[in-house]
Amino acid sequence: MATPKKLLIIDDDPDFVDGIKTILRKAQYEVDVAYNPKDGFKALETGQYDLLLLDIMMGRGAEGIMVARKMRKDTRLREIPVLIITGIREQIAFLFPGEQVHPRFVAVDELVEKPIEPTLLLEKVEALLKEAKVKKAKAT
Amino acid sequence: MKAYAYFPGCSLEKMALSYHQSALECARRLDLEFQELDDWNCCGTTAYFAIDQLLSYTLSARNLALAEKKKLDMVTPCAGCYKNAYFTNVTLKRDADLAEHINEALKEDDLHYAGTNQVYHLLEVFCNDVGVQEIKKRVTQSLNSLRVAPYYGCQIVRPRKDHEEVENPRYFEDLIAATGATPVEYQLKMRCCGGSLLITSRKAAFSMARNLLQNAMDNGAAVIATACPMCQVNLECYQQQINQEFGARFSVPILYFTQLLGLALGASPKELGFGSELVSASAVLAQIRNKETSTTQSPYIRHATS
Amino acid sequence: MDTRPTFYQEITNMMYATHGDPISTCIQCGTCSGTCPVVEFMDHTPRDLIGMIRADLKDEVLASNTYWYCASCFHCNVRCPAHIDIADLMYTLKRYSIWKNQYPEGLIGPTFAETFVKMILSGGRSYEPVLAPAYIFNYGLQGFLNEALTATGLLLKGRIPVLPPRIKRLDNFRRMVGHIIPASNLVGEAK
Repeated sequence: MATPKKLLIIDDDPDFVDGIKTILRKAQYEVDVAYNPKDGFKALETGQYDLLLLDIMMGRGAEGIMVARKMRKDTRLREIPVLIITGIREQIAFLFPGEQVHPRFVAVDELVEKPIEPTLLLEKVEALLKEAKVKKAKAT
Repeated sequence: MKAYAYFPGCSLEKMALSYHQSALECARRLDLEFQELDDWNCCGTTAYFAIDQLLSYTLSARNLALAEKKKLDMVTPCAGCYKNAYFTNVTLKRDADLAEHINEALKEDDLHYAGTNQVYHLLEVFCNDVGVQEIKKRVTQSLNSLRVAPYYGCQIVRPRKDHEEVENPRYFEDLIAATGATPVEYQLKMRCCGGSLLITSRKAAFSMARNLLQNAMDNGAAVIATACPMCQVNLECYQQQINQEFGARFSVPILYFTQLLGLALGASPKELGFGSELVSASAVLAQIRNKETSTTQSPYIRHATS
Repeated sequence: MDTRPTFYQEITNMMYATHGDPISTCIQCGTCSGTCPVVEFMDHTPRDLIGMIRADLKDEVLASNTYWYCASCFHCNVRCPAHIDIADLMYTLKRYSIWKNQYPEGLIGPTFAETFVKMILSGGRSYEPVLAPAYIFNYGLQGFLNEALTATGLLLKGRIPVLPPRIKRLDNFRRMVGHIIPASNLVGEAK
């Protein structure tokens, strides 16, 4: 395998992060974690990441959406694929049981619900990375 | 005539209609123009904050944007709305990221908030913008030493706005004195009435309201003046239940400060929404009337007899 | 950058946007507890609670009723010599326990907060009668009767609205909220 792909997780839930971090590292990805959106955005700006795994409900509310919106406005960060991971524990489900979370107003690439099956997680990550590679090849 | 964008808030639509009526009546008599915000929404009061601060800021931001569209500073009579609008304003000016995020949402209603206006509570507008001296000049009907306990409550003075005096402000007392009434000095004037716990923790709310009523009574209050619909409901509408709970015998009228100010400015009780109290204010009105028949006639008497 | 955060750090992370690391400056002086008008109803004083968070006593903090009794009166805030936004900490703990779906049973606070938010989303304004079932359920028959008497009194005085108020541009309003709470039923398109 060539240089491992670098992933960033922005999620405030240590239990969930522990889970997916282990899965992703076992699959030979290099994984960094930020536990709040502010550190997360700083990490995005300084590190060279190939993919972002982003939680929605953090801090004062749906701050994951704020991060995604800011990324899409940044010419350097715009191309990084974003996988939103959200859970039933979170406020949206709490307020609207049975309603799907949908950040319709922000361009994110894929959305999965917690808890997530390891194989599904890896499939999604791989697919997004491949897609980004194709896009990049087309652009150059 | 100075103009303001007037945001009444949900309570004033019905539960605290007398506050709405008397606020507008006082403003009119003090030559202020209150333009009600068009299609305003709930301010996102404390309960929101528990769940989603971003949503709470957004709701207040919409109202602020509506006021800004009018190019006017916002005034609100509700202490809760005031606190939320004030701090949303402060936060959005400080946090450009958040402001951008919320403005993105406001676009859905063709609105944008740039943060150019100020937020005031009604009491501030009367005490600072109009001024206690000016109000004193305009009093046509002295409240003749009626013993009024000014109740500041929480959110007008807390958390601190700018360099505000938060331990012992005096402007409410000064306003009451300007009407010819006697402001009652009592220790709990800044203490929380428990209104926000009314639904969630009733026992605590009742106990807090009881302490407050007792303290005001012990210091000789004939009436308590409030500047917040939540405080009014908690202190007035639940007095019966508080009496039951504690074996007390409170029967203290809880009036909006604008109702008392309005009387002093010559408005009739009807114009000020009197009559919707659960604890009768007739003794208060009678006291003003009695004293005043022995002095001169007043617009209020003319109204009452016509 | 990937050391698992402690409970204390989790709370700090939630409050990052407002204040960075707000409770590390607490000197445990107890001014907040001495000031709090509701302290007698709390199972832990505000000072205790801050100490417990710093000691990572997560389970004890989540089992505490302290932050659900906080009336947001901000009296502690203005007196705290370390300028800690204690009321904001209480809000943060409420949010944390709701998000974790972990709060003491019998507390009406979370239900109320939830009902309140749903109500505003349906009409844009607050409507008292919607909130009634929440406390009728919680305060039993006597509470219900007392409440009904108070409500009847208010009704007779014309102080309770018969119909829920609605703002005019409700569709815009709901789409606006959809930007902040990304739930598919708010954005006005078919699911």
